[in-house]
Amino acid sequence: MKKYIITVNGKKYEVEVEEVRQEASERVSRPVVDKPVAEMPKKEVKKEPKVEPKKEVEEKYVPEGAETVEAPMPGTILDIKVKEGDNVKSGQVLVILEAMKMENEIVAPRDGKVVSINTTKGASVNAGDSLVSLE
Amino acid sequence: MSIEKVEKLKAAKEKIRLGGGIDKIEKQHKSGKLTARERINLLLDEGSFIELDTFVEHRCTNFGMDKKKAPGEGVVTGYGTIDGRLVFVYAQDFTVIGGSLGEMHAAKICKVQDMALKMGAPIIGLNDSGGARIQEGVDALSGYGKIFYKNTISSGVIPQISVIMGPCAGGAVYSPALTDFIFMIENTSKMFITGPQVIKTVTGEDVSAEKLGGAMTHNSISGVAHFVDSTEEDAINRIKKLLSFLPSNNLEDPPVFDTEDDMNRIDEILNEIVPDNPNKPYDMKEIIKIIADNGDFFEVQPYFAQNIITGFIRLNGKSVGVIANQPKVLAGCLDINASDKASRFIRTCDAFNIPLLNLVDVPGFLPGTDQEYGGIIRHGAKMLYAYSEATVPKVTLVIRKAYGGSYLAMCSKDMGADLVFAWPNAEIAVMGPEGAANIIFRKEIQNSEDPLATRTEKIKEYRDTVANPYVAASRGFVDDVIEPMTTRQRVISAFDMLSSKRENRPAKKHGNIPL
Repeated sequence: MKKYIITVNGKKYEVEVEEVRQEASERVSRPVVDKPVAEMPKKEVKKEPKVEPKKEVEEKYVPEGAETVEAPMPGTILDIKVKEGDNVKSGQVLVILEAMKMENEIVAPRDGKVVSINTTKGASVNAGDSLVSLE
Repeated sequence: MSIEKVEKLKAAKEKIRLGGGIDKIEKQHKSGKLTARERINLLLDEGSFIELDTFVEHRCTNFGMDKKKAPGEGVVTGYGTIDGRLVFVYAQDFTVIGGSLGEMHAAKICKVQDMALKMGAPIIGLNDSGGARIQEGVDALSGYGKIFYKNTISSGVIPQISVIMGPCAGGAVYSPALTDFIFMIENTSKMFITGPQVIKTVTGEDVSAEKLGGAMTHNSISGVAHFVDSTEEDAINRIKKLLSFLPSNNLEDPPVFDTEDDMNRIDEILNEIVPDNPNKPYDMKEIIKIIADNGDFFEVQPYFAQNIITGFIRLNGKSVGVIANQPKVLAGCLDINASDKASRFIRTCDAFNIPLLNLVDVPGFLPGTDQEYGGIIRHGAKMLYAYSEATVPKVTLVIRKAYGGSYLAMCSKDMGADLVFAWPNAEIAVMGPEGAANIIFRKEIQNSEDPLATRTEKIKEYRDTVANPYVAASRGFVDDVIEPMTTRQRVISAFDMLSSKRENRPAKKHGNIPL
């Protein structure tokens, strides 16, 4: 059995972790421990997929000739400066992406109308992720 | 001499001057293109063009070619002046068998290439050709080969400029690729190794010629081309301006102009131009324009790898190459494309005796698997190589961030910078305060009651003690910390002092730059 101290939001939690061997008897003997451990990460993971169903909705817009503005590098969305339906000019700031310790301004590549916003404030994005769709 | 013979000569020249004939010329105009001779007349000083090899003819007898006349062999060659300086020029004539390249067409080009090299004068190639003249078979191929070879031999001796003014496909693309600068025209220029039809049959991909090899594709995505213009006239004017920054050959210095701009100008705006918050971006081009004579910045490859800026300015009338990080794009990180773009530019400047000014605000190399798999190690190494190899005067100004390997890659003192300046808010360190604090003060932060506050405090501590220009200055890595508003006079005085710089390298065939 190994002990870890994990700090979440400044609070310390003491966590004990036991390596599960292949012996069946051990697995069966610890069903109560297994379940909460398995559930915890699931709950956290669920938060992120919330963004994904949205993306699927946006993808329906793309075939209509919309142009997607993608994240040029991995980072965090600090702010979204436009709303769906906004008319934007080429060079106008759409999204602030914090990456490499810089508040990068992601700007409109051309004049157009924002048909969908494909990310949320605070979301972590990867390079190539769609941020905004322009029409 | 009989009048008859003179008349015969005049008539023969007149016929050749018409190239493929009036119909073809009209067709050329309709597709938004000028003819080869119109282009040359626009490019050169009025009346200065002297044509060579007017009467050259092809020797091909295959496939009925013996009955086919090709006036001027599909290319107009010669010499003239631009702003009074000698240049050699060739312009392919699309109206003559589609400007296709055969043995004698290539021989005409090779002749002006040889002359340009012998006379130490720039050569400008105006490309507008359907490709190899298939009827001539390997003779046409040999023609391309000879041109490539001469391009390479001339590289770094005379400026070579290529303008793509029509199609340029297959092997033909490699002559421009071997030259120093490529100009393209919106809508009419196309460059590719294999065209859309071939791609369609081989891979099934459907792509338009414009998307595959148009002007913007090569200016923004592939980085093959350096300039894009909407009309041929604009491109020609841009070529003239580019030439004003370049010497005629590697043994001369670039021409000096009287720009009538005060070399001691104080630019108070520079004291406030960089945001206090190091996480806020700003436009580096503004700083370049403020420092430059008359705010004039001639940018090279403005659409490719915009996280680094390359281009020419004049300082007290003298040509200077600028390499600058752009915090506005990709946080100013160095990546594969930025490294390639900057390295090529550094070597172009070094070959032609143009001093280098490096403006540094770089947070590091761009992290990511695509960068590592793409070989950022070998591409980033090009910058170290190019800077170390360059013997022209090198002045580096650290404007804000200069971290780790990217600080070295932007020409630090150790990479051979002759003078390094820093603004007072510069952060020269092995890494950014956030990352460094996490490593150095890991234990303190971990064991603290309030790790978040401790971390913030430690970041501040690191920033105050290490991330400033004075640590580097105390070691002599920075020659002076200067007030931003005095930048122009300090940089001009630095280049003035460095103008007699002489630096020797061990004799060798050539270095082995990581490619």
